[in-house]
Formats: sequence, C-alpha cells, structure tokens
Amino acid sequence: MIVPFGHVLAFSAAMFLMGLACVLARRNIIMILIGVEIMLNAVGLTLVGASALWQDLDGQIFVLFIMAMTSAEVSISLALVVYLRRRKGTLTADAFDGMKG
Amino acid sequence: MMNAQFLFLILLFPLLGGVTNAVLGMRLPRRVSTSLALASVLLSAGTTLVLWPLAQGTGARATLFTWLSSGDLRVPVEILFDPLSASMCLMVTLVSSLIHLYGLGYMKEEGDYARFFALLNLFVFAMLCILLADNLLLLFLGWEGVGFCSYALIGYWYGEEKNALAGRKAFLVTRVADVFLALALLLAYKLTGTLSISALNEQAPGLAPAMVTLMGILLLLGACGKSAQLPFMTWLPDAMAGPTPVSALIHAATMVTAGVYLLCRLFPLVSLSETALAAVALVGAATAFYAATCALAQKEIKRVLAYSTMSQVGYMFLAVGAGSVSGALFHLLTHAFFKALLFMGAGCIIHLAARENDIHRMGGLARRSPAVFYLFLAGILCLAGAPLTGGFFSKDAILLATFLHQGALYKALWGLGVLTALLTALYSFRLLYLVFAGESRGEVSRHGLPPTMLYTLPPLALAGLFGGLLNLPAFWGGGERLGSYLGTLSGISHPADHRVEMLLIGVAVAVFFAGWLLAQRRYRRYSPTLQAEGTGFLLKGWGADWLVARMVLGPFRAFAEGCWRQGDLRIIEGLLGAAARGCQGCGELFRRMTTGRLSTYLDSFAWGLLLVLGWFIFSRI
Repeated sequence: MIVPFGHVLAFSAAMFLMGLACVLARRNIIMILIGVEIMLNAVGLTLVGASALWQDLDGQIFVLFIMAMTSAEVSISLALVVYLRRRKGTLTADAFDGMKG
Repeated sequence: MMNAQFLFLILLFPLLGGVTNAVLGMRLPRRVSTSLALASVLLSAGTTLVLWPLAQGTGARATLFTWLSSGDLRVPVEILFDPLSASMCLMVTLVSSLIHLYGLGYMKEEGDYARFFALLNLFVFAMLCILLADNLLLLFLGWEGVGFCSYALIGYWYGEEKNALAGRKAFLVTRVADVFLALALLLAYKLTGTLSISALNEQAPGLAPAMVTLMGILLLLGACGKSAQLPFMTWLPDAMAGPTPVSALIHAATMVTAGVYLLCRLFPLVSLSETALAAVALVGAATAFYAATCALAQKEIKRVLAYSTMSQVGYMFLAVGAGSVSGALFHLLTHAFFKALLFMGAGCIIHLAARENDIHRMGGLARRSPAVFYLFLAGILCLAGAPLTGGFFSKDAILLATFLHQGALYKALWGLGVLTALLTALYSFRLLYLVFAGESRGEVSRHGLPPTMLYTLPPLALAGLFGGLLNLPAFWGGGERLGSYLGTLSGISHPADHRVEMLLIGVAVAVFFAGWLLAQRRYRRYSPTLQAEGTGFLLKGWGADWLVARMVLGPFRAFAEGCWRQGDLRIIEGLLGAAARGCQGCGELFRRMTTGRLSTYLDSFAWGLLLVLGWFIFSRI
C-alpha cells in the first residue's frame, strides 16, 4: 500500500470532525445535510483504506452500498427540505420545533 | 329389614325437596311446588317414625362416606340415632310438617313461594344434620346451614330495608358466636385427635380438667349464639321481621334449641367441669330473667313471643347447667309445641287484625274468633305454667333439678327461676288480655282465616297441653318416661324428697296464680295509660342494642375508621401518591429536555459520541 494506513485514518478523522462541526454549527438544514454527507464519506474512506490494508474486498463493497444508499437518502431528504421550505418559508432547523415536550 | 343406612332418608327428603324447589320451583305449578315441600318434610317425619325402634339403648349409627381425610383427621358423614337425637328428630319433623302446612295458607298471596319453601326445606335439612350428626364437623355444617337459612328467611321480604337489616343482624351476631364453636372444635381435635361426638364423650374423662372447663365454656358461648342467650341475644327480637311460619319454625321450635341440643349432646363432656355447668346455669337463669322482664313491656305481639322464647330457652340452659338433660329435653319438647302454637296463633291474630302488630291496637278478638282465642289460650296456659299443662311439668322439673343441685349458687338461681316464672305468668296474661279482652281498638280484617292456618293449631295445642305425659314425674303417678327412655343420656338426677317436691309444686302453683291475678288487675280493662308503660328501658331490652352499639360496634367502627384514615389513606395512598408524584417530577424533568429543536438533539448526539469514545479510550488504559 502506497499511502500508510495511519495517514488514511488521520485524514478521515479530520474529515469526520469537520463534517461533525458543520452539522453542529450550521443552522441551515441543507448545510446540516452536507455535513452528514461529509461524515459518511469520511467513514467510507476509512473502510476503503482498511480494505486496501487487509487485502479484502468487503470494505470496498460496503462503500459501494453506502454510496447507493446515500443517493437514495439524499433524494428523500432534499424532497423533505423542499416540503419544509414550503411549510414555513424558512430553512432554519430550529424553526421546526413542533415536537417540543 | 331395619337397615341403619335408611336413616339417611330422614336427611335426604328435605334436601331433595329444598334443592328441587330452589332449582325448579318457579317453573313448577304452584300446587306441585308447595306440595313437594310439604311432602318432603312429611316423608322425613314418617321415616323417623318407622325407624324409631332403631333408637333403642345406645342407638344405631350409620356412615355414608368419608367426607374429609387429611393426615390423622378423618371426617366421616356419620349419624347417630339414639334416644336423644331420635326424640328431637321426631319433634322437629312433626312440628315442621305442621308449620309447612300452616305456611301453605300463610303464603297464599305471596308470589315468591318457591324461594320460601326451598329455604324452609333446606332449613329442616340443616337442622336434622345438627341433630343426627355424630361428627362435630357435620354438626357444624348443619349449624352454619341453619344460620344461613335463617338469615335468608328473616330477610325474606328484603324489599323493606328493615327486614334485610334484621336478617343481617341475626347472621352476624350468630356468626360471632359460631367462632367460639369453631374454636371448641379445634380444641377438641387438638386434645383428642377426633371430632366424633361419641368418641369425644368417651375420652372426656381422661382430659385435663382445665381443658374440659375451657371446652365447656367455648361450647356454651357457641350455643349462646344460636340459642339467643346472653350476651348474643340481640338478634332474636329483630328476627321477628320474617314471615310468621319462619318465626315459628326457627325461633320457637328448632333453631334456638340447637344450642341446648349441642350442650345435651356433649353433656358427658361438659358435666365433667363444675365450673362450666355453673356457667351454663348462670347464663340460662340470667337470660330467662332478662328476657322475661323485656317481654313485660313489648308492644309488638311477636316481640313478646320472641322474648318469651329467649326466656324459655334460658330455662333449658338452666336445666342443662343443673345436670338434668332430661329436664332440658322435656322443656324443649313441650316448649316447641306450645311456642309454635303461640307463634302460629299470633300469625292468625295479625291476619285477623288487618296486619296490625301492636297489641295496644288490638283487643276484642275473643269475640271475633273464639277458635283462635281458645287455641291461643292453651298456648298461654302452657307458657305461663298453669297447673297440669305440659309447660307446668317441664318448668317444674327444671326448677326441682336446680333446687336439688348442690351449692348456694343453684339455690339463688332457683330463686331467680321462680321470679322468672312469676314474670312469665304476668306477661303471658298481659298478652292474652290486651289481645283478646274488651273491645277492639283498631281495624278488623274482613277476611277469614285460611283453613290450613287454623287447623294446624289444634294438634299443637293438644301436644302442648298434654305434653306433661311425656315425662310425668313419679310424684304425679307417672313413670318419667322420657327420662327412662333417654337412659344414660338423661344426665344427673337427684333423689327428691316428697315434701320438697310438694313444696316446689306449691310454689309453682302460687306463682302462676299470682302472675295471673296481677295481670288481671292491671290489664283486664284497657286504659290508654297502659300505652305509656312500654316506652323505656324494658321495651328496648335493657338497652342491649345501645350497649352493643357503644361497646362493640362503636369501638370497632372507630378502629375501622382509624385503619381507613391512617392505614389506607395515609400510608397506602400516601405511598402510592408519593410514587406517582416522583414519577411526575421525573417526567417534568425529562420533558424539559425534549425541546423539539434539531440542534439540541444533534448536540446530545455529539456529547454521546464523545462519551462513548472516552469510554473506549479510558477502558483501554
């Protein structure tokens, strides 16, 4: 393996943390979704790296599945975003607090 | 030919009749249902008569099956048909037959006849169970059976709350006393390992004297409940809320004598303890006196008779206490005849007086119905102990036995008994004069009496008047037939000096005439002032109900309320309330965490992630 596995892990950890920071810091729903995607991809990168390290295809197949699932998830969540925007005229996440106890 | 197993037929007929009436009664035509009830009791009486020869000597016993068997305890359904139970059985079945016949007329306009006759039959069954049982547990079954039937019959007209309450009172008061009988049963089993009455009587001499005394006292208390003796007597006057045949059956002839019978049955055991005998005699004499004074002031005809029943049963207890089982049984038999007569006569009187119960509003009935008058007079003469009637001989036998018994206590009880006899004569004739003499002071019913009501009375009147022949003392040229028939069962007898006997007879006759004359002077002519006499202490039965309410019910109620307020409301509900409030507080706390805002949730996710990671890291180290 050309790239050492430690680098892969460090890179994907940084990516995961950036995604998490995005999810936590941003208030816009679309930005939160983007953060989630970044976190997902960070995890995918780890899987691919590990697959290369152990010479095992499972990790890569897994990532392919994640991608397929992600595309489906994104299409549903974007549809929801459109719907939410229609309802309240805003995309601020905290505006939707109808489940307040 | 004469198989002892046939004895179970005596029990079977009333049971069958009762069950059939209870299950099918209202579907059957009225005539069939009522005849069935009457026929079952008649058959039972007939069987008793046919099987009478079996009762000779030590009697016959028969076992049907083993009812309970657990460890050492074996409870066979076993009956004993000896002179004591046979004579009681015959009396109960014959008197109940007459009462059933009377009931046919009395309940003529009643819609719910099947329930009445079913209960009446079951009552007879339970009573016969008591009489025939050779096992205390079987006796207890009958004992509870009569308790239940009397409860249901007293409250027969349960539509009126007063009647239902009277039934409940009878049930509860006798139940309290039954606890003592149950304790006696347990004690008997603990001491001897058997519940068989015969075995118990045989083994009794080997027991510790203190235990025998305890047993005797427990049996006495148990007997007091059913027999309405002090201190469990308050239910009997109220029990008059039931239909008259019920009063006649339960509260005159049969149930109230169950206690006397129990003591007679276990006399070999009870008589071993002088203390227990003295207690029995004391309770009997005290009740006899107490009830006689109460009867003096009562206004309702049936309550007078109820108190007089209590008083006469007190005499029977006195007889047992004086050791004379034959005297007790003799008085029991004559009393059953004349008291059933009086109760059924009272039913006729109430019928004639247009459902009026108050003797102050009766009067003049002698002219309206001479037949009822003469029959009632016969009963009154027996009750008051007029010379040569059945009641005279039986009461005399009891007083004689008491007088001859050793000890100053018994002399004092004899004095009390004589005083009670005077009061008995007084209240009997008071009743007679108020009801029958002079002019009518109330409404008079236009209806005549149904023939089955009237024609059941003469046999009882004859039995009452000539009941003395059953056990005519040697002094009168008789042979004490009942006493010799009972043989070893007849208790302790003391040889009597003829002069003493003569003296006592003289006293009894004098007391009777004194009571009569007193009543005649006071009640022959009715004056409205008489109405005021029955308002006080005696009318309320010495305030016994009040006393019970104060001494027993009040504290019990206070205790129950304390339990309710402190235990139930404070502790149990308090605990539950605290638990609920705690849950609510927690819920309130968690509710605040549910903001509904996405950012909060995401933050908590992140913190959770941090925690999990931290845990991973630190668990490695």
